[in-house]
Amino acid sequence: MLLETLKNDFNQYKAQAEKGSFLELREQAFAEFEGLGFPTTKHEEWKYTNLKQITEGKFNTTCIINPEVKTLVNSLVYATLKANLLVFVNGTFVSELSIVIEADNAIAIGSLAAMRHTHKETFEKHFGKYASNQNQALTALNTALLSDGAFVHVAPNKTVANPIIILNITDASELNVLAQPRNLIVVDANSTATIVEAYHATGTNASFINVVTETYVGENAHLEHYKIQQQAGESYQTNFNQIFQEGNTNINHVTLTLDGTMVRNNLHYFMNGQNSNSLLYGLYITDTNDFVDNHTRVDHAKPNCFSDEKYKGILKDKSTAVFNGKIMVHLDAQKTNAYQRNQNILLSDDATINTKPQLEIFADDVKCTHGATIGQMNEEQMFYLRSRGIPENEARKLLLNAFADDIAEKIKIPELVALLEQQIDQKL
Amino acid sequence: MLEIKDLKAEIEGKKILNGINLVINPGEVHAIMGPNGAGKSTLSAVLAGRADYTVTGGEVTLNGKDLLELSPEDRAREGVFLAFQYPVEIPGVSTTNFLKTAINEKRKYHGQEPMEATDFLKFMREKMEQMEMDKSLTSRSLNEGFSGGEKKRNEVFQMAMLEPTLAILDETDSGLDIDALKLVSNGVNKLRSPERSFVVITHYQRLLDYIVPDFVHVLYKGRIVKSGDASLAKELEAKGYDWIKEEVEANAQ
Repeated sequence: MLLETLKNDFNQYKAQAEKGSFLELREQAFAEFEGLGFPTTKHEEWKYTNLKQITEGKFNTTCIINPEVKTLVNSLVYATLKANLLVFVNGTFVSELSIVIEADNAIAIGSLAAMRHTHKETFEKHFGKYASNQNQALTALNTALLSDGAFVHVAPNKTVANPIIILNITDASELNVLAQPRNLIVVDANSTATIVEAYHATGTNASFINVVTETYVGENAHLEHYKIQQQAGESYQTNFNQIFQEGNTNINHVTLTLDGTMVRNNLHYFMNGQNSNSLLYGLYITDTNDFVDNHTRVDHAKPNCFSDEKYKGILKDKSTAVFNGKIMVHLDAQKTNAYQRNQNILLSDDATINTKPQLEIFADDVKCTHGATIGQMNEEQMFYLRSRGIPENEARKLLLNAFADDIAEKIKIPELVALLEQQIDQKL
Repeated sequence: MLEIKDLKAEIEGKKILNGINLVINPGEVHAIMGPNGAGKSTLSAVLAGRADYTVTGGEVTLNGKDLLELSPEDRAREGVFLAFQYPVEIPGVSTTNFLKTAINEKRKYHGQEPMEATDFLKFMREKMEQMEMDKSLTSRSLNEGFSGGEKKRNEVFQMAMLEPTLAILDETDSGLDIDALKLVSNGVNKLRSPERSFVVITHYQRLLDYIVPDFVHVLYKGRIVKSGDASLAKELEAKGYDWIKEEVEANAQ
């Protein structure tokens, strides 16, 4: 059972860990996790997400780097882009596969395990301040047992010209593997950065990756964050990203989930200042028996902010998806504009989507809308294309690609979008 | 070229077409007029192959082939083009990509090689000039954000690109002001040729001042009750549809 493995792992870690505040933080986190246990379907937030395959499984935290992994990394588009590339295999930073082209006094890009020492002040200022362990079993678990992850700090008034790619590979060729990467992204006032968080898997055994990312966006800063999940094989992922943004900020977050046996994403924004814009876009294409669950939450805590959320899904075979979008408009958040849409196309009678918008509005001068659609192909559009000589299959593909590419095109790296659109086309 | 024999059709059990007989030869322009509910839209829907209508009798042949046996895409590839009354918007599908796909599907059907990308662009530029279309049109998504007039002009532009042998215009004039009407009509007139036939379905006579038909047929209660030349349309404008209805009732007794 996974719980036993984790207890042993933590005891081993405690025995050799350096005494200090970091260890204390992790002890508290593990205690929180033990108290809560893994979430079950009896918890409202996990109603549709069954973690049995994980909790009853046997996973190892191994660091053996298979030579095949290098071939895999080099075959990905990320190796061809002009970018800062951080490669993690089973949660461990692999410097020989990574390359940082833009680090200087003001831009830090590297491994968390190393930089929490070299950039101690930033680390202590932000780590653990945004993603709470309280009542969050998987966040607590990650805090307690994190191995490594990405550390990005952009000092004020800087633009990181090239994307920062955080590439996580789970290598389950020898054993079932468990990885718990922890990312800390700090973009200070007036700065700009683009983060690509990508997931691939190799090997025929099972993998479970439990990711937690904390993101701080300072006043006037701009962040583009793209999460691209393409883990083949038997792969399970839980991914929690807590974003804390100050006033006058612009954030564009795009989640593309194109593969994975089970993926659960939690994306939370806390809008801590006025006049900010937050965009949340998502696309999930599921097939066979796959399961994708997107839970989002946008806290409008201050007035005059704008948030727009659009998640689209294409479900095939016997796959299942969940969308739960919460918008919390706090008492003071007057003149909030918050929009949310979830659009789903079911391509089989056995596919299932559970969609639930939740709006809690405490201010009285706001504009909020939400909408969800679940349907098959638009018959009028199909007939129009067919009436022009385009056969039914081609017409369907054209429309499905248009539906999906709408989200893919929110990513502002053209070479990446071109490849993703090809991969999306192959899945349809 | 197109022969419609005793065509009967219904939708959800309601009989709409009650025996249509019509012969359309190459190069001819036939106008189909009639009051609301006569079956004009049903006729164009049945010819284009919409699934919600059921053909309960009769036959339609196009150059000897049984049209009703063909799927909508095959009818198009055999040379039928329907200019929709309410063209749908398709966000995310560019007009250019759409037309290239349609043209190449037709070529494939006829055993031809697909058009080279550069040849296609040249072809499209020529047609855009001929139809006086705005350059920005083609990079936009199909019909997205187009005004009523722009949508109708886009239908005629597609007709120019796809070069059909039988073009059915389904109430192309509906929702157009006089200027848009003239533009659309100019486009259609440029496409008239001895190898191409038109079926112009309209409620109002006005369109036929610009697209002058060779034959005019009046549809009433699912049948063609009167046929004539272009002057019949003028007569209808002067007397209204009541004149036809009275005549039909009188003949029935």
